[in-house]
Amino acid sequence: MKMIRAFIRPEKEQEVVLALEGAGFPSLTKMPVFGRGKQKGLQVGPVHYDELPKTLIMTVVDDPDVSKVVGLIQDKAKTGFIGDGKVFISPVDAAYTVRTGEAKL
Amino acid sequence: MKEITAIIRRDKLPETKRVLEELGYPSLTIQSVEGRGKQKGAMCAEMDSEMPDSFCTAVKLKPTPSAYAIEHTLPKIALYVPKRLLTIVVPDDVVSKLVKSIIKVNQTGKAGDGKIFVSPIEGALRVRTGEHDGEAIT
Repeated sequence: MKMIRAFIRPEKEQEVVLALEGAGFPSLTKMPVFGRGKQKGLQVGPVHYDELPKTLIMTVVDDPDVSKVVGLIQDKAKTGFIGDGKVFISPVDAAYTVRTGEAKL
Repeated sequence: MKEITAIIRRDKLPETKRVLEELGYPSLTIQSVEGRGKQKGAMCAEMDSEMPDSFCTAVKLKPTPSAYAIEHTLPKIALYVPKRLLTIVVPDDVVSKLVKSIIKVNQTGKAGDGKIFVSPIEGALRVRTGEHDGEAIT
């Protein structure tokens, strides 16, 4: 299993989530986060924004589905401009469902 | 070292904290998150006992068809249930004990009890003293 953490534009969240739902991955956790990237924030005229709002979408999927989910996220979150975000993939040893206590997704 | 990420009901947080404290692992990080599972956030009445009824009614009335939704037979907007996300970093040998305890405390048998993920952590550092790895999390 892999955990996919996607930092995306807040306005693209619904589109990404509905696309994932359509592909059969409805489960996810989201949280609002603030951060900056290579460009050290955003300069608009005299105003400098150091930390920009993003939405962090966290989902755990089985190994064979990783590329599909990441592809979908990229497809829907992409605008082609700076600030589209990043996707990180990390290993998960085990996943438990609290309701049943079973060790599976 | 392993990281235990538990997504649990909001009203189970104090009890979970108490149990972790009794087991000797009081350190944790808590985040307010929103999420959904297989039920797509639609069963909020059953999923979260503290959700106000008015909200649930609003949710039940929600599915407004859009072009995208008709095409994919989806509701117009995605719905979420508020949850608490706990992050605990512990030594390898206590992981199964803690997971079992967290499951025991949070289990209500209804959808929306949450998920627990266990993932590897490669290093740790206590900022105050500069201790590394195992010593940093004791």
